[in-house]
Amino acid sequence: MKARYLIWVRRISQAFFLILFLFLLVESRLPQDIFREYSLVFSSELDLKIDWPVGFFFQLNPLVWISSLLSGHHLIKGFWWGLGLLFITLFFGRIFCGFICPLGTIHHVVSWIKPALKGERMVRANQKTPSQRVKYFLLITLLAAALLGLNIAGLMDPISLLFRSVALAVLPGLGVGIKELFDWMANSDIKILSRLSYAGEVLVSPVFGYGYQSYQTAWFIGLLFLFTLFLNRIRPRFWCRVLCPLGALLGVFSRLSILRLEKDREKCTNCTLCTKGCQGAASPMPGQDWENAECLLCLNCFDSCPEGALSFRFGWPPALNRAPDMGRRAVLSGLLAGISIPFLGRLDGQVHKVADPRLIRPPGSLPEKDFLRLCQRCGLCMKVCPTNVINPTLTEAGIAGFWTPHLIMIQGYCEYTCTLCGNVCPTGAIGEISVKEKIERPIKIGSAYVDRGRCLPWSGNGPCIVCEELCPTSPKAIYFRKGVVTGPDGTEIPVQLPYVDLKKCVGCGICEYKCPVRGRPAIRVISAGESRSLENQILL
Amino acid sequence: MDMDYPITRRASLKRLLQISGAMACYAFSPWPLNGPGRLWAQSEKRGFIIEGLGQTKGYSVKELIRKVFEAAGGIGRFVSKGDVVAIKPNISWARRPDLAATTNPEVLAGVIELCYEAGAKKVRIADNTINDARRCFAITGAGVVAKETNADLVYPRSSLMKSMKLHGHRLDVWPVFVPLVEADKLINLPVAKVHGLTTLTLGIKNWIGGVGGRRYALHQDIHQSIVDLARFFNPTLTLIDATRIMIENGPSGGRPSDVAMKNTLILSDDQVAADALAAGLFGYSPEQIGFITLGQRRGLGTYDLAQLDQKKVIL
Repeated sequence: MKARYLIWVRRISQAFFLILFLFLLVESRLPQDIFREYSLVFSSELDLKIDWPVGFFFQLNPLVWISSLLSGHHLIKGFWWGLGLLFITLFFGRIFCGFICPLGTIHHVVSWIKPALKGERMVRANQKTPSQRVKYFLLITLLAAALLGLNIAGLMDPISLLFRSVALAVLPGLGVGIKELFDWMANSDIKILSRLSYAGEVLVSPVFGYGYQSYQTAWFIGLLFLFTLFLNRIRPRFWCRVLCPLGALLGVFSRLSILRLEKDREKCTNCTLCTKGCQGAASPMPGQDWENAECLLCLNCFDSCPEGALSFRFGWPPALNRAPDMGRRAVLSGLLAGISIPFLGRLDGQVHKVADPRLIRPPGSLPEKDFLRLCQRCGLCMKVCPTNVINPTLTEAGIAGFWTPHLIMIQGYCEYTCTLCGNVCPTGAIGEISVKEKIERPIKIGSAYVDRGRCLPWSGNGPCIVCEELCPTSPKAIYFRKGVVTGPDGTEIPVQLPYVDLKKCVGCGICEYKCPVRGRPAIRVISAGESRSLENQILL
Repeated sequence: MDMDYPITRRASLKRLLQISGAMACYAFSPWPLNGPGRLWAQSEKRGFIIEGLGQTKGYSVKELIRKVFEAAGGIGRFVSKGDVVAIKPNISWARRPDLAATTNPEVLAGVIELCYEAGAKKVRIADNTINDARRCFAITGAGVVAKETNADLVYPRSSLMKSMKLHGHRLDVWPVFVPLVEADKLINLPVAKVHGLTTLTLGIKNWIGGVGGRRYALHQDIHQSIVDLARFFNPTLTLIDATRIMIENGPSGGRPSDVAMKNTLILSDDQVAADALAAGLFGYSPEQIGFITLGQRRGLGTYDLAQLDQKKVIL
């Protein structure tokens, strides 16, 4: 086949999968025009769900299911996509990296727009270096840690990393800017500007929504993403070559390739054009041993060779390829790091000792220990949450649980009849529950308590009872008793004083979110009482 | 008019004469004053209150609405050709329609259809919801109603909340949900429910959903606040949906046992009267409800129903 033709196949495939990834990412939310036939709703308890398979890229990603299999002994939903990819990799090499991976595509584009180096220096930069062993070190670290019960694969996994970065930092960042502009236009006295802002807002709402999205540590997520993009200034596709643990995994599996780079030494004129365009530093030049595990199958070498000395050919039967150059040191230190991280991570006592009161996990989450075995920290639940309450943790879950999801009730609250987070979770760290289950079991995520020093009626500052009004359970978990309090000027005021019935409270947090006492609300939710834990309880 | 040049003295005098002449003609005109003359006409005209009751089994809610409006003189009396009509239902909770936390979608659909029949240019449904708006729209049935009837369902968002002067006794400047103000006609379409703070939530309380900002602070002086809001919004009509009412765990409810069937619709141009009649469905007298008595005291309307044209429609 013609090289030119093949390279366009690659480009189209890359564009297709990048667009698909971004499309599914954008669709990971309730659409604005979601309708339910009310005659149906009259009779049955229907859950609002997302129609698109938004977890597809996580299912396609073998690192997700291998790491969750090792740590959680659990096969994730749709794992056979990943299994199929491994099977294909076995015979065709890292075709995922060259043709599919959306993060790889972004790096590819960035290093293509402005190449880091020129001419001879680029040729030297594209020689294989020992630094490429770092990714095997990382892979072994992640898998060893997973085996010992801490799944941190998602911190480095390219799909999780890209989803987290785009969903929690890039899109909300752009969204805030656009929203500020529209709000400014809407408030201006120039009629045409405010009209434009209404129209513009409706136009961008399918992607950005109508609100100001915000996520704890999002600035850091964004900064790291920018940093990985910047690395392309040092070497093209630095991330893919040096850091990507999924690339390492696929490299390990590309041992049996029937798709091989055939080199014709006779024709080669040592022009080094192949090395200059090589994205993976896989030694494509005739005379060097082709590094099959490093090759991203970008086909640039094949395309750029003026003499036709290089070609990708199918060979049967499959022969064992060159083993990936891991280096003994990378393997040993990876194992060491992987064994120590889970134990070091538990030293802050979050798993075995008492739970942090701020660590309110999404409804349906597994017990903490099992949760950390499966959570990929991908941010899908955070993206999909309609009230923006689910946020990445900073210190709430300890260092082992960094960036896992938790609910910040001052940013939003858990909708009583919403189960989207569990529906989209790619690994089942947040279990898939139905609305009926959530209400009737009920699934509690924490419990509320009244801060009587701040509460308006309790502190003699006047009537309120907003928390009781909004409490979604029936009968209400927040109830009031009539009482008389002394106001600041000594007068006696008859008020309704709110109380929390811990048996009924599910910890949804709407009381905290909507409490008129701002700053630190007068009613707050803590994780104690969550149904997933046997220990973190209040009542008998 | 060409506004590029400064207006001359002669031209301004001419214009002034034109305007005052037109106003004089208008004020003394022998023709009945409808539409813009509403404010003047109200003092002469008696208000009305109509109670619609669906007694036959399997009656059509839409038919009842039609009958109720006919008893009030037809929708054409209130909505003119080319009007933009804003409807303020209560769709604040992401609850199934049968749980009575939100306005019955059939009532909503019925009113929108009537407005379009009267020649309305556009009907907008606007409510600043408590739960996430998308979920409210989907689950309460308002979304599908909007789609089927070709009404605009306005997504409540910060750019549509504009600070306005309310001239209230308690509230001075407050962010208001703009579509409710920028309309020719406004119809209040609340659902009747019990409420922890105000005992009941009916038409007047429904205006909490018409404002933004720190609206949960309004609960500290709730009766005066909502009466101020009701005065400000001053709807053309109030239609209270009491097809089913919430008798327990209001205003959110959540169980079918919180609901009682009443098959009643109450239509009035007097906000206080409508609420007073609806209070009776719960067994309360109007004097027992703070915002009703305060509403009468502030001149918002009357709960003495004998002062109004009372009619009852039974289907």
